[in-house]
Amino acid sequence: MKVDLDKVFEIDGSEKNTWTFLQDIPGVASCMPGAEITEQVDANNYKGKVRAKVGPATMSFEGDIEIQEINEENKSLHFIGKGQDTKGTSAAEMDLTASVRKGESGATELVGVATVTVTGKVANFGGRMMTQVADQILNQFGKNFANNVVAMGEGESAEEAAKVVAEQPKELNGLAFAWSIFVGYLKSLFGK
Amino acid sequence: MKKTAVSFTLNNEQVDVLVEPRELLIHTLREKLSLTGSHIGCETSHCGACTVDMDGISVKSCTILAVQANGSELMTVEGLASDDGLHAVQEGFMQEHGLQCGFCTPGMLMRSYRFLQENPNPTEEEIRVGLSGNLCRCTGYQNIVKSVQYAAEKLQAKEEG
Amino acid sequence: MSTSAESIEREEKLQGVGCSRKRKEDPRFIQGKGNYVDDIKMPGMLCAEIVRSPYAHARIISIDKTEALALPGVHAVLTADDLKPLDLHWMPTLAGDVQAVLADEKVVFQMQEVAVVIANDRYIAADAVQLVKVEYEPLPALVDPHKSMDSDAPVIREDLIGKMDGAHSKRLHDNHIFTWDVGDKESTDQAFEDAEVTVKENMFYHRVHPCPLETCGCLASFDKIEGKLTAYVTSQAPHVVRTVVSMLSGIPESKVRIISPDIGGGFGNKVPIYPGYVTAMVASIVLGRPVKWVESRIENLTTTGFARDWHMEGELAADNEGRIKALRVNVLADHGAFDACADPSKFPAGMFHICTGSYDIPNAYARVDGVYTNKAPGGVAYRCSFRVTEAVYVVERMVDVLAQKLGMDKAEIRLKNFVKPEQFPYPTALGANLDSGDYHTALNKVLDAVDYKELRKEQEEKRANGELMGIGIVTFTEIVGAGPSKSCDILGVGMFDSAEIRVHPTGSALARMGTITQGQAHQTTYAQIIATELGIPSEEIQIEEGDTDTAPYGLGTYGSRTTPVGAAATAVAARKIKAKAAKIAAHLLEVSDDDLEWDVDRFKVKGVPGQEKTMKDIAWAAYNNLPEGMEPGLEAVDYYDPPEYTYPFGAYLCVVDIDKYTGVTKVRRFYALDDCGTRINPMVIEGQIHGGLTEGYAVAMGQELSFDPEGNIEGNSLMDYFLPTAVETPHWETDYTVTPSPHHPLGAKGVAESPHVGSIPTFTAAVVDAFAHLDVTHMNMPHSAYRVWQKCHELGLDKAK
Repeated sequence: MKVDLDKVFEIDGSEKNTWTFLQDIPGVASCMPGAEITEQVDANNYKGKVRAKVGPATMSFEGDIEIQEINEENKSLHFIGKGQDTKGTSAAEMDLTASVRKGESGATELVGVATVTVTGKVANFGGRMMTQVADQILNQFGKNFANNVVAMGEGESAEEAAKVVAEQPKELNGLAFAWSIFVGYLKSLFGK
Repeated sequence: MKKTAVSFTLNNEQVDVLVEPRELLIHTLREKLSLTGSHIGCETSHCGACTVDMDGISVKSCTILAVQANGSELMTVEGLASDDGLHAVQEGFMQEHGLQCGFCTPGMLMRSYRFLQENPNPTEEEIRVGLSGNLCRCTGYQNIVKSVQYAAEKLQAKEEG
Repeated sequence: MSTSAESIEREEKLQGVGCSRKRKEDPRFIQGKGNYVDDIKMPGMLCAEIVRSPYAHARIISIDKTEALALPGVHAVLTADDLKPLDLHWMPTLAGDVQAVLADEKVVFQMQEVAVVIANDRYIAADAVQLVKVEYEPLPALVDPHKSMDSDAPVIREDLIGKMDGAHSKRLHDNHIFTWDVGDKESTDQAFEDAEVTVKENMFYHRVHPCPLETCGCLASFDKIEGKLTAYVTSQAPHVVRTVVSMLSGIPESKVRIISPDIGGGFGNKVPIYPGYVTAMVASIVLGRPVKWVESRIENLTTTGFARDWHMEGELAADNEGRIKALRVNVLADHGAFDACADPSKFPAGMFHICTGSYDIPNAYARVDGVYTNKAPGGVAYRCSFRVTEAVYVVERMVDVLAQKLGMDKAEIRLKNFVKPEQFPYPTALGANLDSGDYHTALNKVLDAVDYKELRKEQEEKRANGELMGIGIVTFTEIVGAGPSKSCDILGVGMFDSAEIRVHPTGSALARMGTITQGQAHQTTYAQIIATELGIPSEEIQIEEGDTDTAPYGLGTYGSRTTPVGAAATAVAARKIKAKAAKIAAHLLEVSDDDLEWDVDRFKVKGVPGQEKTMKDIAWAAYNNLPEGMEPGLEAVDYYDPPEYTYPFGAYLCVVDIDKYTGVTKVRRFYALDDCGTRINPMVIEGQIHGGLTEGYAVAMGQELSFDPEGNIEGNSLMDYFLPTAVETPHWETDYTVTPSPHHPLGAKGVAESPHVGSIPTFTAAVVDAFAHLDVTHMNMPHSAYRVWQKCHELGLDKAK
């Protein structure tokens, strides 16, 4: 199944720092809960893995990330990540364009437009929850990303952020996460 | 994989068996102990074909690890009849045409056996709810309800007699 | 024939036809002594598990088995490349297509078989499956059959490119399978042009799965010394499996033994031959050890034998008084990635030509186009004769649509258009030849039983109060008992069936049939037929089926063919024995055959009391005191080739109450009248009807295998797939009339599928009828609470007052 995501995160930092951090692929990847870059193949190709645990199901995806374009002028980055879970029952692909801009309020914004396609077991069982799961993952990603950018700055808030970054959860886990998906799912039911 | 020794009482006999820690009770019963009466119809705890009696409650043995059964008292469909003959639920299913292909029957019988101890004099509605953890694809349940009613009456008569 | 109290008593003791005899099968099942495929163990047995594709459409780049093979306890990992040298990587389907046993270079549906792992036990096998590394290159998936024939549609079957002569007709596109049509198109089109009223409706008969409680499986054991393959298979047609296995493997058919042991429900799911069976057999041949493969529920729902998935456009032409003048139907049939429909070879759309139903329709035309999509293959007859549910659904829906358009009562329009009793045998416009029926009596009996007028009155009142109450009526005619071998065959073998009866010297009997029970109580009911025919008590007749080494060749049990074909063979075989018995009796009594009369269990000399020989006496004499020149023994075989199909029918009525705020549909009442001709065992018939109605309820109200645009199957476990429990299942009221089939030796027609075929449109009719006053003419299944609520919402009915 395919999920289209369109997200804007407000970043408490400069456009310059935000753009600099966005180009740090392993750094950005580590903002994604449960994701990490395991190898840089060449300038534009990385290998990585994502581990997600929702309820009793643990899925571990291994795959490739290919940078399609880094556009200095628009401060935008386009990459495609593809992976299969290690048990061979599911596969996922993400086509993401992220860019940095100044928002209407004057604050720095990180804009993400992505299409996530999942196939196999994860779609069979999780299909109906997929939008909510993806949404929650991205929300956590946005928070982590923002903290990283803040930590690049100076002062107390940067130190605070750096501490949070260091404690960043290493995988998608736990009841709290499941709960937030559940709440999101309920909202979607009644929100229409 | 390293095996663990498990002991339990099964149909009134003491059993010792070596199992993998991840081994499901239904597999131990069927494959190691050759009691193939209990069946596997799904892997999501929905169908109830694997229902057995464990320490006085109905459990789906596909959802219990064999190691969890250590020290417990188990009963399967093979232990339902006694020297006195068939149990009332077995008789009921036969008299009221409560089975067709027979695949769900052992689970249905074990659930009925326990259900009638929980509720010896149930209404039709209570029977339907009481057996709702067991799926049957053949009978449409109407005759299963009658079978349980037959057994309830028989057991009541026995009690009073 | 004498009807003395004494002979009636003797007759009752036989427990013959018409008796609600308790089932012979039950004692073993209630004591856990059933013997299903997964219950069977063999020394040295190994376990097979299948590696499956997560993609609906992808090219296989590579398969790496190294890690899996390195796991202790793993014996082999087989892929298409391993089967190629044996030419076993593809197999024929029942529909004249081929199907990949293991994916050959690409996968064409989700969870398709890619490799098979053979290991010591199921746990090791499951571990090893995860260690087989398959690299795929995803391809665009084709999910919507309406797009199958687009010019830019991805080609699913590369093996068929350029092969435009299909098994059934010319292919019009790489993703086209066949066009099948029947009837007079010209006269039908003309009738539509001339008609005073026409109606048209599009309906989707969704993809469902029979989902028997026991999944499919096979335990294969190849004896290298004898060169003999024995396989226990969950098959509704073991003899056909034997023939196919022999053709496929080159092992002589005499050295292939297929055994269908106890089967935990079939409902059509266990008719085809699946890759799992073949891989278990191949693995056993390769490894020289018994190999067992049993699928999981998810595998069962995802990959084996789905049913339906037809997009139908129905049209009726009529006059202003509601007399139907013509029927026209166009169907787009989604067959998945391989055409593995289980139909007689010459009927790619099954018996769909029964779609004129119980009505006297002078002009009709039906066309079906089958197409490929990236979905699992199947198209089995889920508790119905081939495509009969679809046929009954379309005509019953259209009759309702027409009634609504004309403002006529839905019962009245049926009574007006029924084929009349004096018109039988009635040749339909689409070539069926209805054998017997009395449709008016059946429907009137139902209408009286439920007080139909009162129900309509109540509905009026409810509507005035803004409440939703629906009354669904269906009067179906089925076509079962495939079939006459002049038109019906499976892979070239005529669709006869067989019985072999041996009467032992002391008068008990053993009988073997080519059919196989999956819960229908053959061991009970076949004995009743023989008991009545030969005067041997049912209890003394042993029935055996399912072992191809012992049973005579038969086409198996599906499509309600056991009673029309197998039971006929049994009666005819018994009559052959009786004819010989008469000669022996005449010899023993020293009279001519003509002087004898049959009385329950004995031949008597007419008019000479006391001069008689029982079947027991005759059996003994058959082995020691025969007329001169007569061959000893008392046995007979019959291969019965039915002259015609049989046409069971029924009238069903359902009352539903719908909560307009939640869409929850409550079945208040369901009244089912069935006419299956002569009734062999009323208790078993009643049980079959309950079961069929419940499966019909499941299909109409909740079951669905749906797919997302990427070809992911949505809901392939019992977490999602609706199997009703005792709580949801309605209470059933049953009734019957008896209109015997004129050409069947017993007058019987077959019953188990009628309630499924008949009930599904009844539920739809009832749900739609609840909205009929709001100009709703059709709603697609399943009528789950959510979907019914959507309709309420769309109509603004869920707004609080």
